[in-house]
Amino acid sequence: MKRKDISIPVEQPKRSNPLANVFDELMDFCRSRSMFMLHYCTGCGAIELPPAMTSRFDMERLGIQPMVTPRQADILLITGYVSIKTLKRVIMTYEQMASPKYVVGICSCTVNGGMYWQSYATAKVLKDYLPVDIYIAGCMPRPEAVIEGLRELMSDIKQGKANSWQRYYKNYDYYLGNQQKLFGDNWQTPTDIIAEARHYNLISEQTEGKHTAVLQQHQKPLEAFEARLKHQQGQAREQ
Amino acid sequence: MSLLDKLLILSLLTVVLALFMGNRKMAGWSVTVVYAGQLVALWMMSGLGYGEISEIRSAVELTIWQYRLHWQFDALSWFFAFITVAAAMLASWFSAGGWAQAYREQGGSIRLFNVALALNVLGMLVLLASGELLSLFIGWELVSWATFMLLALGSMRYAMHYLVYAIVGAVVILAAMLMTYVQVGSLEFNQVAEAAAGLDNTSIWWIGGLFVIGFGIKMALLPFHLWQTKAYAATPGPGAAFLGAISSRMGLFAIVLILVKLIGISRLLEMPISFTFLSARDLLAWVAVFTIIFPTLTALRQHDARRLLAWHGIGQGGYMLLGIVVADDLGSAGGLMHVFNHATYQAVLFMSVTAVVYRTGTSDLNKLGGLFTRMPLSFLAMLIGIIGLAGLPPMNGFVSKWLVYRSLIIDGSPMLFLGTVIGTLGTILSVYKLIHNTFLGQLRLEHETVEEAPLSMVLPMMLLSAVIFTTGFFPGLVLGWVASVQAAVGLPVLAYHAGGIDSANGGLDMIWVVSVLLAGFAIATLIFFSGGRSRRVHQLDNYAGGHFLTADTRYQYSDNFYPGLMHLIGPWYRSSFKRMEQGLVSMLDFLSMLASGWHRHGHPSFYLLTLVVVVLFTVVM
Amino acid sequence: MSLQHLLTELVLMPIIAFVVGLFLVLMMRKLGARIQRRVGPPLLQPLYDILKLYGKQTQISHGLIHEIGIVMAVGGYIAAETFLPVPGMNGIADKGGLVTLAYIMMVPSLGLAMGVGQCANPNGSIGISRALTAMFAYDIPFILVIFGVAYQYGTTSLTDVIAIQQQQGMAGWGVVQMPLLFIAGLIALPAMMGKHPFEIYVAPAEIATGPMVEMGGKFLGGLFIMQCFQYYTISVLFVTLFLGGGENWLTFLIKVFAVAAIPLSIAYVFPRYRTEDVLRMMWKWPVILGLLGLALVMG
Repeated sequence: MKRKDISIPVEQPKRSNPLANVFDELMDFCRSRSMFMLHYCTGCGAIELPPAMTSRFDMERLGIQPMVTPRQADILLITGYVSIKTLKRVIMTYEQMASPKYVVGICSCTVNGGMYWQSYATAKVLKDYLPVDIYIAGCMPRPEAVIEGLRELMSDIKQGKANSWQRYYKNYDYYLGNQQKLFGDNWQTPTDIIAEARHYNLISEQTEGKHTAVLQQHQKPLEAFEARLKHQQGQAREQ
Repeated sequence: MSLLDKLLILSLLTVVLALFMGNRKMAGWSVTVVYAGQLVALWMMSGLGYGEISEIRSAVELTIWQYRLHWQFDALSWFFAFITVAAAMLASWFSAGGWAQAYREQGGSIRLFNVALALNVLGMLVLLASGELLSLFIGWELVSWATFMLLALGSMRYAMHYLVYAIVGAVVILAAMLMTYVQVGSLEFNQVAEAAAGLDNTSIWWIGGLFVIGFGIKMALLPFHLWQTKAYAATPGPGAAFLGAISSRMGLFAIVLILVKLIGISRLLEMPISFTFLSARDLLAWVAVFTIIFPTLTALRQHDARRLLAWHGIGQGGYMLLGIVVADDLGSAGGLMHVFNHATYQAVLFMSVTAVVYRTGTSDLNKLGGLFTRMPLSFLAMLIGIIGLAGLPPMNGFVSKWLVYRSLIIDGSPMLFLGTVIGTLGTILSVYKLIHNTFLGQLRLEHETVEEAPLSMVLPMMLLSAVIFTTGFFPGLVLGWVASVQAAVGLPVLAYHAGGIDSANGGLDMIWVVSVLLAGFAIATLIFFSGGRSRRVHQLDNYAGGHFLTADTRYQYSDNFYPGLMHLIGPWYRSSFKRMEQGLVSMLDFLSMLASGWHRHGHPSFYLLTLVVVVLFTVVM
Repeated sequence: MSLQHLLTELVLMPIIAFVVGLFLVLMMRKLGARIQRRVGPPLLQPLYDILKLYGKQTQISHGLIHEIGIVMAVGGYIAAETFLPVPGMNGIADKGGLVTLAYIMMVPSLGLAMGVGQCANPNGSIGISRALTAMFAYDIPFILVIFGVAYQYGTTSLTDVIAIQQQQGMAGWGVVQMPLLFIAGLIALPAMMGKHPFEIYVAPAEIATGPMVEMGGKFLGGLFIMQCFQYYTISVLFVTLFLGGGENWLTFLIKVFAVAAIPLSIAYVFPRYRTEDVLRMMWKWPVILGLLGLALVMG
């Protein structure tokens, strides 16, 4: 598979307020010191996380805490191989997380399929489908390696470099195309990424394209139910 | 002709007008206007409510066999009458527009509905105006039959159930009146009150007990409460709102009249129950507390919104009676104020549920959900109503319950206090279930096109909500009336101010409480908006452990809402009262069968044989 | 007292409550970590969490009530703090008193319940159903405690309760006068704070943190703030009722932290109860102790 270059130039908007930069740095610092982690562990790497979290290595001293639902989490930790069925759930979970959000791929399987590279049922390269911030290679990486990787992510966040979550909005067409290749054309998640990108002004030329056009042909409407007194006839209705 | 006569004539006119207007489109509106006229007439008598006038007599007097029947209004009557007419006006307003049309289309008769409602009001006004015990009884019967008429519009079966209770109650009251007449020789209030001081405890036990049972049936005191829920729940919506708001309180009115004005609560304290440490007053207080606890916990198990509310209506009656039998200035004020508060929130809750039924056709809590986005104003009305019902700040229900709690602390009755708190907690649990299963949670596919109820239904709800909030903010508005009622019936009078009560050892100032609460909300709003911009998402964009949700699969939690609690207390529900009633019914059935057997089938040979045996036996002996 | 003075107090009291609450949260997390032989989070961790959550760039809301629910949850506690006297500041404690405070403390929980309901997630609804059941469980011993204290001191005004205890010195403290009620209250305390072993409504492994299931960003941040206030309010209430309030800030804070730490460090080692067992437990031992204590107080 030929991969398109999807790196985007880092824009530095001019800030008139000098305090704004201080504020941004403070927020980045807080983000780096408080990482709520959703571990999506269907593969074998899961076994390395308990020692990393509990008394042996204690992630909480770094401000890393396990969380339960995608809404609460900052980091999506994917350990081990991702089967095609699993990947659907991973993408849905990722889309439900609140930005800034980071994806950490643990084990070789997320990098290139690892020992499952021949399998018809696994999605081999995770970053084709989601913007991955950091890979921790190894089969499996030891807890020290996991923590080392997470510390690297921390320093990236602190310096404001971990912005790959924006890529998902700005290059949505690319990611959706890869997802459609795998799941078929009628693939749709419950989260309306394009509307969200528009709402937060994260849209770019690559957000929409021929793949999103395919999506929009069959997409079930996902507008929120807003409180209203009268029912308008022309209003979009869900099937 | 006094103002009272004008009021009663106006009320009679309402009945005639309702009869005359029939099923016309303007029927409801015209009746509502006349109710408003009654309200104005009542407001012209507001001197009663503010203690400026002590009573207004009616010019009508009847003399039957030297017995003089007369009618009058005092502060107590005025307070109840004001609530009654206001509730009737709002219920009628609520029913006048879209609801009436739908009711007509379903084959209901608006004429009957309006007449029944107007008759109820007339009956209640006559009852409230009674000047001695006989006119009280006449008014009582009027109210009973008018209530039957309204209930029968919903379900004849449940109305008959009520009727049996009402007739038993009437007989008991009649017996109590006869006893009073035999003992005192008069049915005039002041003469009875004077004579009551000289009566021995046994007579007071009998007279007071019978009166409380008779009037308690209307109030649905335990164990005479079984008729109420089903009958109220089946009544057409606005009728249920009116009945739930005030109808049962007529029983409370009569109990206050008898126990407080004629006998005196202090007298009850001097009547010990043998072999216990309790007095008659404690017995009543416990009846009140059980009336709070059991119906409230029964409400927790209902899955029909109207039945849930009707059960709470019974439970809240207990707070009123409890406050009144504690009989200090705080407690009785709490009990009386709760009559007003209950009327406001119970009416608004029934209206809100009726609005939901009007739009969706069901009040089954397992078949609703997520309606907030479709009926936001009905939601607001229900929210304010349930905060009032649960007795939380900043709504008015908190103030009356606070007064009752405070008086129980002063009185030193920890178990009664615990009982009231159990009632409040049970109420919180069940009202959350009510609002959650109706307005929150997942919106059903078939309800996506539902609209808000029409303006004619929304406006009365909003008005009542405003009253609930305002009287919570400035409880002094109602406490003024309550204080004059206390003065009129001879209770210690509450010292109040606009915001509540000043007391050396712990007062309440709702103006401060509510202001600070609102300020807290304002600051929290600022904090909320200091965070990043939010985006609203579709209800199916939801955490489901990795599942993709679809609109035709329900993703809602409503049935058996408190499984953990029910796991523990579920086996405690034994429907003992229901079984007791059934036992009574089957015993009566058996006796009547026996009697009819004797009556219908002559057995001359058997009678003859018996006679012969008896004669032989006598001769031989 | 001048209006200006009063306003200053009304502003200061919630701010102090929040700051102390942050440290209470930190202490709880540290305690938990120490019991599990971990290091635990750094000093400012609770603050980092809240700032990060408010600074999230995309925030997911489920509608107006979801937002109002969070506002009520935080706002209710901000209001409640002004009814709690602290050393040197009485706020508007004389306008409400003990019963009012107990009921104002229910406002945030119900606001939260409403917000969670709007999320349309059954995990959240189950969480609220459990939380309300837990409230039904712990409020019964708690109400016995409130009654006992109000009866003992003959007042429901918290300022009076403190004044009476401080006049009589340590012998007049509630804990000396009403030891059984104090113990009953301490047993109910972890449940009131929603901590081990009574966190039935969070239960991450069962119902995905219940009420928090759909809360992210500033919604979760609001709940974190609410938690700070909640710990503070409950601890200070116990200090006020049983430990003579605070003569000065030093002793006051020591008492506040001790009240939170002691029962929780014992409770932390127990696994979570089932819902009906929480009810059974709360309605048995603390109620028995509370009734005995009441009998002593009133006898």
